[in-house]
Amino acid sequence: MGKKKEGVFDVRKKIGYLFSMFAVIVVLISGCGGAGDSKDDTFVVGMEAGYAPFNWTQSTDANGAVKIDGSADYAGGYDVALAQKVADGLGKKLVIVKTEWDGLIPALTSGKIDAVMAGMSPTDERRQSIDFSENYYKSHLVLVVKKGGAYDQATSLQDFSGAKITAQLNTFHYSVIDQMPGVVKETAMDNFSSMRVALQSGVIDGYISELPEGITAEAANNSFKMIELEDGFQTAEEDTDTAVGLVKNSALKADVNQILAEISEEERADLMEAAIKNQPAETDTEDDADSGTVIDAKDSSLSFAWIVKIVSENGPMFLRGAGVTLLIALVGTIIGTLIGLLIGVIRTIPKPDSKVKRTLLKIINSLLSIYIEIFRGTPMIVQAMVIYYGSALAFGVDMNRLFAAIFIVSINTGAYMSEIVRGGILSIDKGQFEAAHAIGMNHLQTMKNVVLPQVMRNILPATGNEFVINIKDTSVLNVISVTELYFQTKSVAGNNFRYFESFFVACVIYFIMTFTVTRILRAIEKRLDGPENYVVIQNQMQVQAVENTVKREED
Amino acid sequence: MEKIIEVKHLSKKFGTHEVLKDIDFTVNKGEVVCVIGSSGSGKSTLLRCVNLLEKLTGGTILYQGDDIMKDTHNVEEYRKHLGMVFQQFNLFNNHDVLSNCMVGQIKVLKRTKEEAEQTALEYLNLVGMAQYIHAKPSQLSGGQKQRVAIARALSMNPDVMLFDEPTSALDPEMVGEVLKVMKDLANLGLTMLVVTHEMGFAKEVANRVVFMDQGVIVEEGTPEEIFNHPKEERTKAFLKRTLD
Ligand SMILES: Nc1ncnc2c1ncn2[C@@H]1O[C@H](COP(=O)(O)OP(=O)(O)O)[C@@H](O)[C@H]1O
Ligand SMILES: [Mg+2]
Repeated sequence: MGKKKEGVFDVRKKIGYLFSMFAVIVVLISGCGGAGDSKDDTFVVGMEAGYAPFNWTQSTDANGAVKIDGSADYAGGYDVALAQKVADGLGKKLVIVKTEWDGLIPALTSGKIDAVMAGMSPTDERRQSIDFSENYYKSHLVLVVKKGGAYDQATSLQDFSGAKITAQLNTFHYSVIDQMPGVVKETAMDNFSSMRVALQSGVIDGYISELPEGITAEAANNSFKMIELEDGFQTAEEDTDTAVGLVKNSALKADVNQILAEISEEERADLMEAAIKNQPAETDTEDDADSGTVIDAKDSSLSFAWIVKIVSENGPMFLRGAGVTLLIALVGTIIGTLIGLLIGVIRTIPKPDSKVKRTLLKIINSLLSIYIEIFRGTPMIVQAMVIYYGSALAFGVDMNRLFAAIFIVSINTGAYMSEIVRGGILSIDKGQFEAAHAIGMNHLQTMKNVVLPQVMRNILPATGNEFVINIKDTSVLNVISVTELYFQTKSVAGNNFRYFESFFVACVIYFIMTFTVTRILRAIEKRLDGPENYVVIQNQMQVQAVENTVKREED
Repeated sequence: MEKIIEVKHLSKKFGTHEVLKDIDFTVNKGEVVCVIGSSGSGKSTLLRCVNLLEKLTGGTILYQGDDIMKDTHNVEEYRKHLGMVFQQFNLFNNHDVLSNCMVGQIKVLKRTKEEAEQTALEYLNLVGMAQYIHAKPSQLSGGQKQRVAIARALSMNPDVMLFDEPTSALDPEMVGEVLKVMKDLANLGLTMLVVTHEMGFAKEVANRVVFMDQGVIVEEGTPEEIFNHPKEERTKAFLKRTLD
């Protein structure tokens, strides 16, 4: 009998697979989380890896580039070269952690990194929270403007009257704009990449930078011009210095200073020159010969050839980013849905008779409401900062970034899903509960065997929606330096200065991911609904004698 | 006669609305008891109180002499002994016909899959639905659904079957197939408590008929006594209304 058995058992098996898959993923993640380097024999340095020639991201280890922790890419540049020297001097292994500019100091104070070497100047303001080594590079301020524009012949601060000028957020570059008479001070920007885009598009007329970055910008984009002023900005000595950021009273400080003192001025100049020469945008322009399409990399117009070039050169980087995005979104959605189901079940437990149980349930329900309200009521980008850096500051937990990302997406999704699940449970006909109770099932059995399977089918579209939203929203996790697609794209664009083309590639990848996921979910929905027709069993079943039935009845 | 269910001084209020007032009655083993009465008289509520889908406001229920309202008594344990058939069928929408009849056996009675399937097929066969084991509830007619619902309840091998107007939601041409199944069950000696509007069925099958009105039992007796020689005015009025 029953050659073809469908129903509960099949669904159970499917869920079983899902769980085991999930378990594997969790093990993998905790695996990378657990592989914590023993802090003693490593020198962990934080940098943006996006501020050439001080530091940048590249895909090979050419020119002494060092592998970026938790990523398949490499960091190169002046900072990396110096960091390597310091690490060698300390007798430790150099580990590079790629971190947003604004995340560098929190990362240092929360113990996630040992030092900041990111072209950072030892300002008084920063000295209040961290310590600095001696100077390891000295520069001066310049302006970057559009070539052929109204300001490309400027020689003094006065010549910029009427210009829209900006600089990087939280740097002294931004405050010296006040020394320029008559300029329009635009909102500060997060990074140089954004400023270059803004300059290219004409949103600003110029931005303030330092010598190495200015040379780089000019070299990378032939519509940019660097202006060095004869009678320039008044700056404090410390502002144009670059030093190693360390935690207050760091035991490393004396050693670091000692090592830096041994590096001569000429050697520093040589290293900077090499960095300017080796930065990715410059080398790219030289080896076009073998890429088949001859493109002028300095040509600032949009071009399809550029997109081809970006994809062929950075394909693996994009794919890895897409993989991480998909992993975070998938695991986050699954865990979030499980959280949602669990909370949905708890929130629909009927009022128990016993007073103690009733109070307990009430407390649990209010806690769950608080959780839901908080996570639905705050932006994920803010939660990411609070959870990632907060956990380190408050509890000394050094969370693996990927783990933190999945954690954040999961609890966020959980908060949304629990409301969706609750709605789904309330929409199930009361008769389903009564029939289940009438055959002796308790609340849990009723939920598991009768209600939740129906709820899951009903909320599948909403879950799919959540998944698609998660694929897109993981991009905000770049603030905690998770190497997802957006973060990777920013790195690519930061190296080649082709913002439109790089983000266009990301755009296509995002769309392919969400579109594919949507289609797959449709197909799953269809499968779950089963065939529209059933097969009537034709060959007559062996008819049980009615007497048999009676006998069972009387047992 | 062996008493299976004894209802004692049962009362039920929804808020201030007293729907059942001091009900006393008994179901004996092997008996078919039919409850009749006009709509809103409290028949469904009585049945739902018997299997504790509604909380009692007062009184108690003895199951085989055991007070099920005692704190120590487990509701789920008690419900295993009762099979319930609803007016609206309430088949599990996420299960096909066969697994509707198996899931309770496996999860509640802890039977193996093989045992459960064997039992389910026996009863699906009995109600004439064995051909449809792979159909989903939404693919069945009302009469077919109700027969599956009966098979589902029987698969749990209950001591008593409760029916709440099992044919009231059916198109007239399907009433017969369900009543036939119920008659078969009665002939098999099953203990049944049936709320019904089918006077013909009550006359033919019931050992005892209970007439309810406005939350009280007005009169009870054999079908002969109730249908042919009713004592109470309310009973006479009800029968006159329904049989005409
Ligand atoms: N859940 C409920 N809440 C409030 N009143 C109810 C509820 N269920 C039934 N009643 C009321 O109880 C009375 C008896 O209903 P019911 O037992 O369904 O009658 P019957 O089955 O005899 O038609 C009706 O007046 C009905 O409105
Ligand atoms: Mg009713």
